[in-house]
Amino acid sequence: MAAGVAAWMPFARAAAIGWMPVASAPMPVPPKEKRRGRDGLIVLNVSGTRFQTWRDTLERYPDTLLGSTERDFFFHEESNEYFFDRDPDIFRHVLNFYRTGKLHYPRQECISAYEEELAFFGIIPEIIGDCCYEEYKDRRRENQERIQDDEENDQSNDLVSPDASFRETMWRAFENPHTSTMALVFYYVTGFFIAVSVMANVVETVPCGAAPNRIKVMSCGERYALAFFCLDTACVMIFTVEYLLRLLAAPSRYRFVKSVMSIIDVVAIMPYYIGLVMTDNEDVSGAFVTLRVFRVFRIFKFSRHSAGLRILGYTLKSCASELGFLLFSLTMAIIIFATVMFYAEKGSGSKFTSIPAAFWYTIVTMTTLGYGDMVPKTIMGKIFGSICSLSGVLVIALPVPVIVSNFSRIYHQSQRAEKRRAQKKSRLARIHAVKSAGARAYMQHKGSQQLIGPDQQASKEAGQALVCKINPTFDLQHHHLLNCLEKTTNHEFVDEKPPESSCRELSPVKQLSRSSSISSSSSSNGVSCCGRRRRKTFTVPNSMSVGLQGSIQELCTIQIRERPITNSRSSLNAKFQETLPLNCEQPYLSPAVISLPTPGTTPEGDRSADYSQANIVRVSAL
Amino acid sequence: MLSAIWETEGLQTVGIVVLVFASIKLLHILGLISFSEDSVEDELELSAVRHRPEGLEQLEAQTRFSRKELQILYRGFKNECPSGVVNEDTFKDIYAQFFPQGDASTYAHFLFNAFDTDHNGSLSFEDFVMGLSILLRGTVQEKLIWAFNLYDINKDGYITKEEMLDIMKAIYDMMGKCTYPVLKEETPRQHVEVFFQKMDKNKDGVVTIDEFIDCCQNDENIMRSMHLFENVL
Repeated sequence: MAAGVAAWMPFARAAAIGWMPVASAPMPVPPKEKRRGRDGLIVLNVSGTRFQTWRDTLERYPDTLLGSTERDFFFHEESNEYFFDRDPDIFRHVLNFYRTGKLHYPRQECISAYEEELAFFGIIPEIIGDCCYEEYKDRRRENQERIQDDEENDQSNDLVSPDASFRETMWRAFENPHTSTMALVFYYVTGFFIAVSVMANVVETVPCGAAPNRIKVMSCGERYALAFFCLDTACVMIFTVEYLLRLLAAPSRYRFVKSVMSIIDVVAIMPYYIGLVMTDNEDVSGAFVTLRVFRVFRIFKFSRHSAGLRILGYTLKSCASELGFLLFSLTMAIIIFATVMFYAEKGSGSKFTSIPAAFWYTIVTMTTLGYGDMVPKTIMGKIFGSICSLSGVLVIALPVPVIVSNFSRIYHQSQRAEKRRAQKKSRLARIHAVKSAGARAYMQHKGSQQLIGPDQQASKEAGQALVCKINPTFDLQHHHLLNCLEKTTNHEFVDEKPPESSCRELSPVKQLSRSSSISSSSSSNGVSCCGRRRRKTFTVPNSMSVGLQGSIQELCTIQIRERPITNSRSSLNAKFQETLPLNCEQPYLSPAVISLPTPGTTPEGDRSADYSQANIVRVSAL
Repeated sequence: MLSAIWETEGLQTVGIVVLVFASIKLLHILGLISFSEDSVEDELELSAVRHRPEGLEQLEAQTRFSRKELQILYRGFKNECPSGVVNEDTFKDIYAQFFPQGDASTYAHFLFNAFDTDHNGSLSFEDFVMGLSILLRGTVQEKLIWAFNLYDINKDGYITKEEMLDIMKAIYDMMGKCTYPVLKEETPRQHVEVFFQKMDKNKDGVVTIDEFIDCCQNDENIMRSMHLFENVL
C-alpha cells in the first residue's frame, strides 16, 4: 500500500460506519491508539545539512532505519536531533522516498555509493520508481561487468602455488600464453600452422598449369598432390596433438568438450581422418568434397589468438534478437515485393517466371546490389522496382545501428579492460608502498617504545627533535594492538623479506663498513628510514651507538647475544636517529658476539626458549 | 497489336493500383497507420482544476475538528490529491488500496456520492471534512442519517429493496473471491431480506428514514458499533 494512502486510513475507517446498520454480527474492538506525540517534527542532521520532516512521514516505512526504533541509536542529546554521518546529497533522495513513496536514482551519483547509502538506511533498491529503474539497472550491470573483469584478471594473475599439478600448469599455459615461454612458443607455433593450413587449402585450388605429360590445366592440388597431402598431414598432426593436450589438461573435460572452440577444433581435423578412412568410392566422393569444405573452419581457430574476433562473435551473439528482426523484416519485404513484381511483369515475357524467381530480383535490388540479370520491362514493374530498392535501403538501415552500438559498447568495454589491466600494476605498486609504510611505522614505533623506559621519558622529550614521527592517537592504539598480538603469539612482526634467505649470506664476523652512507634520512623523518634491507653482520663495539650509527641504510637484522638483563629489553629496533642520544645510557650492552641463527630456528620464533639463556637482540633498520 | 498489349498491360496496371490503395486503406481503417499528425488522440487530462479550501477558521467553525486535526487531515488529503479535489476515479483508486482482495469500486462509487453533497462530480476538501466530521464527531442521530443517505442511492427518501441489494452486493464485492465460507450468489439477497425484515415495520417494501432510525436505536449492536470509530483521529 502506498504510504500516502496511509493518511487516508482515518477516512476509510470512518466510512466503515456505512456497514454498521447492515451488519449481522457485533463489531470487533478497535485497536488502542497510541498518541505518542505523533505529530512532531524530527530534525535529521546529515553531515551538517539539516533535514526536517514529520515523524509520521518517517514512520510510514517501519522496516527501514529511519522508520523504526533503530534511529534512536543516532540520536544526539546535546543538539536534540538525529545525526547521521553520511552523504547529504544522496540522503535527499532517501528522504524524498519517505515523502512521496517513490525512490529516484540520481544520474550523477556513483552507483555503488548510492547502493551503500540505501543499504545503510535499510531500503531495498528494487523499489526504485519506473522512471529511474532502467537507468539504475543499466548502470548496475555496467558496474558488475567491470568488477567481474577485475576479478577475472585477479584470478588469472594469481601467483600459482608451487604445488599446482602439472595438469593445472598446462591448462594455465594453454589459456594464458604469457605465463611461460613454452606456452608462448606453443601459441605461436599453432598460430603459424593454422595459417599454413588455411593457405594450403586456398592455394591448392589455384590452377597451376599443365603437368608435363598432360594437356589439361590442373589445379595445384592435383599436380602436387603428395606435397599438399604431407602438409595437410603435418598440420592435422599438430592440431590433433594440441586438442588432445587441451583435453587432457582441462579441469572439466565435459565442459571443455561442449565448448565452442573444441567443437571448431574437432570440425577442423575430422575431414582429414574421414578422408583417410574412406576409399576412393565414386558414390561418396561427393560427400567427400563437401567434407573438404569443412577444412576452412580451421580459420576459426584463430579466434583463440585474436581478441577482436572473439568480440565480434560475442557481439553477434548478443545482438541475436536484432539480427533476427532484420531477417524477419527483410523476408516480409522480399515476399511482398516479389509478389508484386511477378504480377506486374507477368505476361510481358520477362524473366519473372514465378514468385520464387522474383525473390532473387528482390533481394538483389533491396540490398542495392543490382546485378542486372533480371530487370523489369513494364512501366508498373519499373515503378515497383524503384519502390523496392528505396525501401530496401530503409529496412536494412534500421536494425544496423543497434548492432553497431552493441558492438561499440562491447569493444570499448574490452578496451577499458585492457587499459585497466595496464594501469593496475602501477596502481597496486603505489598502494603497496603506502601500506608497507604503515607497517613499517609500527616497527619504528615498537623500536621507540621499547627503547624508552618510563623513567626515560624525559630524555625522550629531549630527543624529540630527532624522533621520526609523533604518532597520533590512532596510530598509538593500533600499535598497542599489534603489540598485544605479538605478545599473545610470542611472535613478532617483521618486514616482508624472510630473514632466512639473508641469513645464509652471513659470513663470519666482519667489520662494519662505517663508510656506509649515513642516511640523509635524518632529515626526512618517517618513510625514508625504511631503507632497503640487507643483512650484514658487524662487531658491536662498546658504545653501540657509534657502531650502529653508521649503518642506517645498510643494516638489517642483526643478532646480538647479550648478557641477560633484568629488565627484559629484548629487541633493539633501531630507529637510529632516535636511539642516538639515548644509547649512551645503556651500558648493559657488552661487546657482542654475533650468534648466527641456526638454520633451523627462525629469528623471531623460539624466543621464549632463548630467554632463559640469553636475550637475542634483534636490530633492524628500517 | 500494340493496342492489345497496352490493353492487357493497362488492365493489369489498374488492377495493381486498386489493390495497393485498397490495402493501404485497410491498414488505415485498422488504425495501424495514420496520415495526419493530429489524428493521435490527446489523452492529457486538463488538470488545471485547482481548488483551494476555505480558511482554517471557517472550517473549524463548520466542523467539529480542532485546528490540529484539520491540519493533519489536509496534509494527508493534499499529499494524495495535489490539485485539491478528488475525482471519482482517484477516489476509487485510493479506496481500493485498502481492500486489495476484492473489488471496492462499486462501494467507492456509493461512498463518493454520499460524500459529494453538492453533486458536482468531485470531492473537495470541504466535502471531505464535513463528511468526516459527521462520521467521527457527530451524534448517533447524524451518523444514522448519513448512513441512510448512503443507502438511498437516488436520494428520494426511501430505501427500496433494489437499492439495498446494490449496496449489499457492493459490500460483498469488497470481500473478493477467497472467503470462508464461500460466497454464494444468493447471500446478498438473503442479507437484504433479513435487513428488510428488521427495518421495514409497515411492510410496504421500502424503508423510510424514521423507520430506519427507530429500528437502529432499538438495536444494541448497532448502537454500540456507532461509537466504534470515534477515536480514529
